Amino acid sequence: MLAVSKISVSFQKTKVLNSVSLSVSAGETVGIIGPNGSGKTTFFNTLSGFVHPSSGSITLNGEDITGTTPDYRAKCGMGRVFQNFGIFKEMTLMENLLVALEARGSFLGALVPWGAETRENRAKALGYLEEIQLASRANQKAGSLSGGQMRLLEIVRVLATGADLLLLDEPTAGVSPRMKEEVASFITKVQALGKTVLVIEHDITFIQKFCKRIIVLESGTVVLDDTPDRVCADERLQEVYFGKRAAG
Amino acid sequence: MSTLFEFLGSEYVIHLAILVCMYLILAQGLNLTFGLGRMFNLAHVASFALGAYTTALLAVETEAGFFKCVFASMLTSGLFAVLLGGIALRLTQDYFSIGTLAFSSVVSSLLINWKSVTRGVLGIPGIPRPEIFGIDFYNNTNFLVLIFIVACMVQGFFLILHSGPFGRALRGQAEYDEALQAIGCDTATVRNMSFLFSSATAGLAGSFFAYYLNYIDPSSFALAEMVFILTIVVVGRPGSLWGVSLGTVFLVLLPEPLRFVEINSAYLGPARQLLQAVILFTVVYLNRRSLFPPQREV
Amino acid sequence: MDILPQLLVNSLITGSIYALAASGLCLSFALLKILNFAHGHIMMLGAYMYLLFALDLQQSMVISALLAAGSMVFIGSFILTIFVNPFTRYSPLLSFVTTLALASMVEAIVSMVFGVNVRSLSSGEELSSLEFAGVFITPIQIVIIISAIVILTVMGLIIHGTGMGRRVRALAENPHASQMLGIRARHINFSVFVIGTVLAAYAGVLVGYETNLQPTMGNAYTIKAFAAMILGGLGNIWGTVFGAYILGFVENMAIGLDFGGYSLPAGYKDAFAFLIILGVLLVRPQGLFGSRKRSA
Repeated sequence: MLAVSKISVSFQKTKVLNSVSLSVSAGETVGIIGPNGSGKTTFFNTLSGFVHPSSGSITLNGEDITGTTPDYRAKCGMGRVFQNFGIFKEMTLMENLLVALEARGSFLGALVPWGAETRENRAKALGYLEEIQLASRANQKAGSLSGGQMRLLEIVRVLATGADLLLLDEPTAGVSPRMKEEVASFITKVQALGKTVLVIEHDITFIQKFCKRIIVLESGTVVLDDTPDRVCADERLQEVYFGKRAAG
Repeated sequence: MSTLFEFLGSEYVIHLAILVCMYLILAQGLNLTFGLGRMFNLAHVASFALGAYTTALLAVETEAGFFKCVFASMLTSGLFAVLLGGIALRLTQDYFSIGTLAFSSVVSSLLINWKSVTRGVLGIPGIPRPEIFGIDFYNNTNFLVLIFIVACMVQGFFLILHSGPFGRALRGQAEYDEALQAIGCDTATVRNMSFLFSSATAGLAGSFFAYYLNYIDPSSFALAEMVFILTIVVVGRPGSLWGVSLGTVFLVLLPEPLRFVEINSAYLGPARQLLQAVILFTVVYLNRRSLFPPQREV
Repeated sequence: MDILPQLLVNSLITGSIYALAASGLCLSFALLKILNFAHGHIMMLGAYMYLLFALDLQQSMVISALLAAGSMVFIGSFILTIFVNPFTRYSPLLSFVTTLALASMVEAIVSMVFGVNVRSLSSGEELSSLEFAGVFITPIQIVIIISAIVILTVMGLIIHGTGMGRRVRALAENPHASQMLGIRARHINFSVFVIGTVLAAYAGVLVGYETNLQPTMGNAYTIKAFAAMILGGLGNIWGTVFGAYILGFVENMAIGLDFGGYSLPAGYKDAFAFLIILGVLLVRPQGLFGSRKRSA
């Protein structure tokens, strides 16, 4: 599904990603962990096209998308959840979903507010809102939601774009502990739909719940790539987070 | 009662109504890029000026008809938007507003210095009023009907844009550009299109400006005019279609009482300018917490 | 006769005025992160304040300069408190709008008080020019060049050699971290903005002696200061000063040189600032000396 081959990214003279390679097959869920500054978010920015790598290539469903724009990648089926909430707080919940549904519509259709297309989109949007139990608040501003609800809205909005590959950048950031459970169970639902998911997370116990594979990034390189149990057992993980143990 | 009708039918009231319609067209254009799109576009008056000069030159030099002139004005301003968009829209907000300011200054410098075409500060006099299907628009009542119909069409067009997917995308890119890109929207195209619509609308307003006043010179398109249109949009609440419509009526009529005050006529222009700038500042000051929602980025 | 040395000297004069004007704009951008669209109008206002004392009230040059500087200190702090500080916490768009409103207000007030006609500070007697090796220069022009060099050097010494300068640079780079170190941002922002205002006013006075004054001149000088800053990179003070001299050079060369029997009409002189802005934005948006902001 997604194949990343030896991408490197530098800002000014510091290398942020150093020859990262990764391949993810359809339906897989992969967790990405690593200390602050290890390049996790830059990795996602490179995948979604906001940052261009100095070398290496990215292939999505067999197509080389290395130099393409973010919106093109979205049309190829890549979706992204942002750490600082990608929803539009100034818009209503309904509008947030409409914007996603309309993004691939026709040009003339994008200028007029009526027509069969719009009616269909509204119905679809309501369906998505029901899935996250927010249909009753469809006409409220998204800024009035709690952190967890915003997160659910953002994930469901990615589904509305028809994405098959979801990049979740810290989906539990800004979410209360109680809502974390709901976000986790919603991610499990997304998995059941057969979507491919990449998750960046700090909380390793959180991603263990639904990841079969975990990648550890450190200083821009992949240190570990294994099942959660073996990653947790591996002493290199301890090294990444706590530094090398003193000899003995 | 009859005196009321007489007053409403008087040349003075018709003149004000024409001004309201013209500024409505102009302000709704800026309301798209600045109001919905949050792009601090200081070149709006330059588009207006280009529209006015295109109509003036065509009508005086070639005696072209109404539809030809209006279309040419919108085309010129539209092309200007494409050029401006090509350079300025790639920039971040700070550079963008400086870039549009520079663009508008290039236009006003051309208007003043390219004397062989624009006659410089002397301006272009003797612009004939249009004649369509034998109707004489030297009559201000007829002209009012014409510009009112056009203003309604423009309002309808922007109503459609604002409430439709295009308006949503424009608001989305203003709040969080990257998030909109990540759900598959080509935000650069959305911005460019909004620029095109906005600038062509300004060109349309410019065309009517030239026709109505019969005379134009560069001083009509100075900084004060930009501040005035910005005031209309800010007072009406940026991005609100009906708010800006009300704002237009309010702000066009507001300085009118100054006419009846016994002051030196040399102070009239600056007094209006000062009044508008003070209103702009006051409204921004009072609404500073809510006027422009924060923008996020990756 | 070779015109080149004369053009170079003229460039130096124009560049000095622009450098004085743009450095204030640049410092206030670096610290407050605002684009002051009224900067040229502040310049114009400063020149008119001086004109008020020197010509209308018939005071001596020194007294007028002191009174004008004093009133500009007052005006600068007024502008900062009313038009800038209440807005910086929210969207940057707000201060764009308020400074633009300020520009319009200043233009309107000056037109009402001093009239819209062109005025000049020079009475004509300063114009008797001296000649050095075929280059003509007036005493006032010598004052312009020397005072610019002195002011910019002192500014450089302060910024790079004193604790005050270190605080300014720290605040410009990372306001939050600097404040946590105990640097009082409000005081420093205040002093820098006021100094920038007085420098702009001084540049305005020089313009008044060199050419003439008009209430509508503000916008052109705002754009010139922006052009210098864009050339040097937003917030980069030495880049901006250098940019100002480049702008002066380009303007004088373009008008003065003869391109195969055709020379540009002098009216287009102002247009070069705009073209420089657009050209730089097109090719190198971060400025000639700026570094691209790190993304993500």
